[in-house]
Amino acid sequence: MSEKSLYPGLNLGGTHGKAHEKAESTVFGFWVFLMSDLIIFGILFASYASYLNPMGMAGGPGPNDLFDITSVAIQTAFLLFGGIAYAGVSLGLKYEHGRAKLIGWLLVCAVLGAGFLFFEVKDFITQAGEGGTPQVSGWLSSYWALVGLHGFHVFSGILWILAMIGQIATRGVDDAVKIRLSMLGVFWHFLDLIWVGIFSFVFLVPLA
Amino acid sequence: MIKPNTGELDPQESAASEIKSYTTGFIASLLLTVGGFAAALSDLPTTWKVVLICVAALLQIITHMRNFLHLSFSGGQSREDLLLVLFSAILLTIMAGGTWYIMSDLSGRMHQTMDSVASAQSQPHSR
Amino acid sequence: MSGNTSPIFGNLNWNVTPYTDLLQHVDSSTIVGAGAASVLVFGAIAGVALFTYMRWWGPLYRIWLTSPDAKKIGIMYIALALVMLARGIIEGFVMRAHQATALGTLAQPEAGLVAPDHFSQLFSTHGTIMIFFVAMPLLIGLINFVLPQQLGARDMAFPVLNQVSLGLTAAGAALIMISLLVGQFGTGGWTMYPPYTGIDFSPGEGVDYWLWAILISGMGSTLTGMNFAVTIFKERAPGMHFMRMPLFCWTSLCVAIMLVYAMPALTVSSAMLALDRYAGFHFFTNAAGGNMMNYANIFWMFGHPEVYILILPAFGVFSEISSTFSGKRLYGYTSLVIASMSIAVISFTVWLHHFFTMGQSAGVNIAFGIATMIIGIPTGVKIYDWMATMWRGRVRITTPIVYLTGFFLLFVIGGLSGIILANPSIDYQVHNSTFLVAHFHNVIIPGVLYGMLAGIHYWFPKAFGFRLSETWGRRTAYLFVGGFIFTFMPLYVLGMMGFPRRSPTFQNPEFLPWMYVAAFGGVLMMCALASLMWTFWTSYRNRTALAVPGGDPWNGSTLEWSSPAPVPEWTFPQIPQIQARGDWGEAKRAGDPWKGPERYTDIEMPANTAHGLLIAGAAFALGFAMVWHIWWLAILSFLAIPGMIALRGMRVITPKIIPAAEVEEADRRFRQQVASLASATRADEETERNRGVPDLSEFAG
Repeated sequence: MSEKSLYPGLNLGGTHGKAHEKAESTVFGFWVFLMSDLIIFGILFASYASYLNPMGMAGGPGPNDLFDITSVAIQTAFLLFGGIAYAGVSLGLKYEHGRAKLIGWLLVCAVLGAGFLFFEVKDFITQAGEGGTPQVSGWLSSYWALVGLHGFHVFSGILWILAMIGQIATRGVDDAVKIRLSMLGVFWHFLDLIWVGIFSFVFLVPLA
Repeated sequence: MIKPNTGELDPQESAASEIKSYTTGFIASLLLTVGGFAAALSDLPTTWKVVLICVAALLQIITHMRNFLHLSFSGGQSREDLLLVLFSAILLTIMAGGTWYIMSDLSGRMHQTMDSVASAQSQPHSR
Repeated sequence: MSGNTSPIFGNLNWNVTPYTDLLQHVDSSTIVGAGAASVLVFGAIAGVALFTYMRWWGPLYRIWLTSPDAKKIGIMYIALALVMLARGIIEGFVMRAHQATALGTLAQPEAGLVAPDHFSQLFSTHGTIMIFFVAMPLLIGLINFVLPQQLGARDMAFPVLNQVSLGLTAAGAALIMISLLVGQFGTGGWTMYPPYTGIDFSPGEGVDYWLWAILISGMGSTLTGMNFAVTIFKERAPGMHFMRMPLFCWTSLCVAIMLVYAMPALTVSSAMLALDRYAGFHFFTNAAGGNMMNYANIFWMFGHPEVYILILPAFGVFSEISSTFSGKRLYGYTSLVIASMSIAVISFTVWLHHFFTMGQSAGVNIAFGIATMIIGIPTGVKIYDWMATMWRGRVRITTPIVYLTGFFLLFVIGGLSGIILANPSIDYQVHNSTFLVAHFHNVIIPGVLYGMLAGIHYWFPKAFGFRLSETWGRRTAYLFVGGFIFTFMPLYVLGMMGFPRRSPTFQNPEFLPWMYVAAFGGVLMMCALASLMWTFWTSYRNRTALAVPGGDPWNGSTLEWSSPAPVPEWTFPQIPQIQARGDWGEAKRAGDPWKGPERYTDIEMPANTAHGLLIAGAAFALGFAMVWHIWWLAILSFLAIPGMIALRGMRVITPKIIPAAEVEEADRRFRQQVASLASATRADEETERNRGVPDLSEFAG
């Protein structure tokens, strides 16, 4: 492999030898998988757009009745800070800051992700209370499916973080763990990316 | 990033430059997020608001890919990843754009013009 | 329905088997249903008894089910596909037999072998099985077996994931199989269009069987696509540039791309339909803002690339065999590469031609109609390339070449009828008639089935060390070609006469003669299936006469023919250095191709694991529990999957090391054997003299 770092920041840099080379194909594979995931989100976005009309809303509540822009802003902040917190993990991994720091940053990410989920679930509960359940209209079905799927991804991300903390604690920071932390980083930042699409096109555009 | 004469990475220096890259990305994302929300809450015409939100979202996505996911045209692997993402973006455009094309045409044929879609978005629900 | 759902058994009870139907009402339909279930039950019992009697359970588990070796996984995929193929062809035959007896009268409009509802199940399972559990496992299996060998890689990029993919596909297939015995399958065709398949009109378990089989096996296919893509991008042998890859690898790359980007659409449409059915969502319902047209849209966004997922590996096989059996270099390599890649990308832009009649404006139809016609161009380029490859070659009429010739003759007709259908105004006339049925069988059978059978015949010696009987292979091929012509050509005529597809009955006696011809074709297809099975059996019995230990029975030019037959677990004693396109052929030209490596090293292989098997079990339990609303089992198995992944993540997995001495011993033995075997000329290819060491002076590929 060239001395150029394969995944600057996210990846490990030339000093990590074998893990660095193996990371190339494994993390690339994870990228390919995420692209498949991206298509899932893309189709859900397109479907959301196609249900976003009076026929799709079928006389049920619409965006202006249900969406709470303040809560969306809070969720966005949680995810953005959660994303940047992962920089601590990536850099700590690359420059070998030690287990404690890695676990610390991972916990920060998990807590921020949980904060996001808390507000998202709270919104869902409020919306359901206002008559905005997915069983009411096609538009609400697509809204719950899209935003819910993203939330489910964040939840899986948190579980993955906890699993990684478990692995760091039991098996230490070996090659496999390094590669998995790189993949987790890609996943975690990818969720931010999807959320940018969601807060812009699901929440802000219909409210505009 | 590479030490002169030795060709080795200087951890201190490259760490500093990476932290800088993250910070830039973070500040840019923050500004673009605020910009998107501000545009939505402003009193501009709807079309302008939508355009501004879309532009802010697009820029922020690029920022995330550049500064957080480290995709770029330089460097072997990050270039390959970027090409993968761009290829995916093309196919996504075909699929999502095609859906939009087909479904909006169909809803137009069911006596539902795009104007009524826009009005449904802009007016508060009154039922 | 949920009113009497038991907390432990869900909706399961003793009334769900076809035997209950038979007890209630004896007619030809219930007899066929109970008969099919009995075949499943007795087949399973016989299988278990055979394995127990032969003491095969241990070897099956140790050598096959827990192996992460791509070659073994490939063979298992193909075995699964052949089992499902048998069911699919029998179902096709039953449908032909039914329609040949389905002439109703005004007094008694319903007639035929099976009841209308049963007939609907037949065409639904037939389509689902043939697409998802025959064609897909066949091509994925073949790619798994061939791709690493052609690339000069030891294995796939992610061997254990590969095992998981196989497990998920098998779990899906098992769900379809169990639907014969427990409950019923859906009646909505292989596409399962809502709102008919929504909970309002299809309240039973049938659609759910389809949904979960598709969701589970679709997940497996997505992961497979990812695995293929990474293998091709990252695991090629040193010197194997993209433009040196054999054409089969190129088409595998196209398949990988399409699997990664098309399967998500199927996952989304099925998941949405599942949400509609289970949670009362309104994606595709009639009421409350649902839009069933979106289902057609998303489904075919997957469905069209799927067609090319199926056909492209066959194109890869045809590229390999046309060159090998003509003793010529492949004509127009670059144009074939470009054509394959264009097909892969353009296939994402044509999906609307599956629903021209849904009601969108003419402009939309025309845009997609033109795109559809464009995709015919690269396909045409390929046909000409293969014909040019054979032109003035020394063509040996082996089984794969019989399939190839059948493909040439029939696929062009199928392609032309596709171009006809690509015109929206013509499509309006023949849409939903058997003309369409004839068209897609006319591309899929000569394309996929012939291609895959040709590929199996071609690479079989590499897997098991002996050739398949050429005599019986050719007989099978002729039967499949003849069977196809008699079965499906009449359907073109019937479609033009206005016979709608999927009709359980008809009242126009003019249809009847054509139905008889098609039913005769169905008989031929059954004979072809029997002949195929007989080919395997008779070749197995003559395996010593057909053995090709030299490993290169067809005088090939690609890398996989350099290894012994059967190929050892490690494939290559040393990862080869590639110097040219068709590296093995170049080595033959240079003189002594069977030079051993100078030095042998320890080989690291992934260790056997039951991971894939366990995940497959959990996935099957999840699917079955969801179909029958057994919620506790669903939750348990749903949690088990991430649990198993997390547990595996905690363990440090040590790879299996094959010591250099063992590799050296086996490899030297192989090379000595090759030196001692007499080389066989082209004329001796089908005789016992062919021991897998060809006459190098005849090599011209």
